[in-house]
Amino acid sequence: MKRRSIMEPIPTDLITEVFSRLPAKSIARFRTLSKQWASKFSSTDFTDLFLRRSSNRPRLLFGVKKCGEWLFFSSPQPQNPSLSSVVAVDYHIKISGDVSKYICGYASGLIYFPDMCIAHGAPVICNPISGMYGILPELDRYRKARGFLGFDPIEKQFKALSEVYAFCDQRDHHQILTLGTEELSWRSSTIQCPKYDSSLSEGICINGVLYYLADSVRDLPCVIVSFDVRSEEFKFIDAQCFSEQLAETHERPPLNLEGQDVMEMLLATMRMDRPTNTIKLILVNYKGKLGAIYWKYANNADGRRTLELRMWVLEDVEKQEWLKNVYTLPENEVLESCDFSVAGVTASGDIVLSMKHVCKPFYVFYFNPERNTLQSVEIQGFGANLEAPENRGTVYAFVDHVEDLSVFDAKQLKSSISHATHGCCNKEEQPTFHYEKAKTTERQDMKETVGKMKTEEEGDNEKE
Amino acid sequence: MSSNMIMLKSSDGASFEIEEAAARKSKIIANMIEVECVDEDKAIPLQNVTGNILALVIEYCNKHIVDDDDDVATEEASEEEEEAKKKKVDDWEAEFMNSMSLETMFELLLAANYLNIKSLIDLVCQTIANNIKDKTPEEVRKIFSIENDFTPEEEEEIRKENAWAFG
Repeated sequence: MKRRSIMEPIPTDLITEVFSRLPAKSIARFRTLSKQWASKFSSTDFTDLFLRRSSNRPRLLFGVKKCGEWLFFSSPQPQNPSLSSVVAVDYHIKISGDVSKYICGYASGLIYFPDMCIAHGAPVICNPISGMYGILPELDRYRKARGFLGFDPIEKQFKALSEVYAFCDQRDHHQILTLGTEELSWRSSTIQCPKYDSSLSEGICINGVLYYLADSVRDLPCVIVSFDVRSEEFKFIDAQCFSEQLAETHERPPLNLEGQDVMEMLLATMRMDRPTNTIKLILVNYKGKLGAIYWKYANNADGRRTLELRMWVLEDVEKQEWLKNVYTLPENEVLESCDFSVAGVTASGDIVLSMKHVCKPFYVFYFNPERNTLQSVEIQGFGANLEAPENRGTVYAFVDHVEDLSVFDAKQLKSSISHATHGCCNKEEQPTFHYEKAKTTERQDMKETVGKMKTEEEGDNEKE
Repeated sequence: MSSNMIMLKSSDGASFEIEEAAARKSKIIANMIEVECVDEDKAIPLQNVTGNILALVIEYCNKHIVDDDDDVATEEASEEEEEAKKKKVDDWEAEFMNSMSLETMFELLLAANYLNIKSLIDLVCQTIANNIKDKTPEEVRKIFSIENDFTPEEEEEIRKENAWAFG
């Protein structure tokens, strides 16, 4: 920078342009630059600009789970996958003690863990980039209850929705918690959700509405439960197509909808056979509409495997009209030989498939159903430890992760920070002890006892 | 495509010939052409841009004439061709910025801003951002001549609040 002095100074506008293209982590660090920049970074003008810029370069968020411990990474999510065949991940945080039977939920940059040991079995909301988290109050709920996270983009508000006793007439079906209020507390929903038996999928939040698949009460097919995050209204959306899919998945005789008992029996069998969270059906955001993708490997006569995707898109919410499409993916050796799962659909309509376990090389595929194109992107940088075959962690990828500074703002997880300082079981100097810069290759202290509690259950889930 | 050539003159007196279509990447020059204040024989003087930087700007503009005509071309070109073309431009941009010093990037940014070439502003800003994202606040203050007006206590406080970002 020798010649700096004779050059004209860079106008603040241009510096702002540069800063708006930084990762949230750099912004957090550069809050110490000066008073002017600290207040600029907190201004709505800047956070809006930052969000616009980061929406232009969405990322793939990877949660790698091993023995109750999660490591989070993110990589660029190529806008045009054919352009970049290799990308590297950044390592963010490690958080331990997940004892839930369900996968964590994701909404607009935050992760919801339904059942965390650090919270003595209560849910935790965590920012997977900064590692800051909030412990939610304990909740009296049915042991199979799921929890979901929703985001209302208008009020910019996160709400957690937890099932408590969704099937019981005499009790609350759900409890709701608003994040960002001074005292984190669960409250009964003012509008009671119609009764159903149990949830069957993780949730997805699209434009302020949270959706998940549920088994309705006896004698009726599946429904999609929709929860409007702002108004807190519940609705059921007909999802009979999934009842048929779930029944078919288990290679049972086709469902006779007249004989309701048959279906009830099938679903019951299915629930016993496999824990519900292993259903290969994922709810997705298909270009702003609710969609669901079911995937299945089929063995061809020539011994090769092909991956088939069935996608339903809710074309018309009012008429509850689902449009179904079946796609057989183009032949690909990697896709045939390794297990993949569907992570979601990008805003541009690419279905993202991620390898189920960390390995080297690790691939993510982008399938575009409109163009019938399949592109692979190699993801590097999970670290030798996770890549070792004996350690292979299970990968959960979340698409279109966009950094929003307001999520990093202390007020969103304010209670959490103080909770983390006092309430956690670690006595080390760092209040956010789950954050550490350690390379993933040097995860030496695996002393989490809680990790072990999970293994039996997990072993089952991951066999198939 | 018009093959009219126009002349640009840098602040240090160097003259450059450039296709009008390329020069139009600059909103400022495009405006000048619109209002016909460009004399065919006379070079447009650019007071704020030195010759070595102007050469870079022109290199960038020349490379991007083609892809801006694509409104017409898209319908004919197949998607693969489009993608291949875009990949070529992306690769070229990466190469173009790759060997550039931070100092040159700033001069290029100022020139792009002065000439109002939006896509070049985007490219340079993102490259600078990638370049500084892992730097310390001290380094960034030096780069942008930002004066630290925090007391040590205040600075420590903010550092603590954002401790995760300093790991």
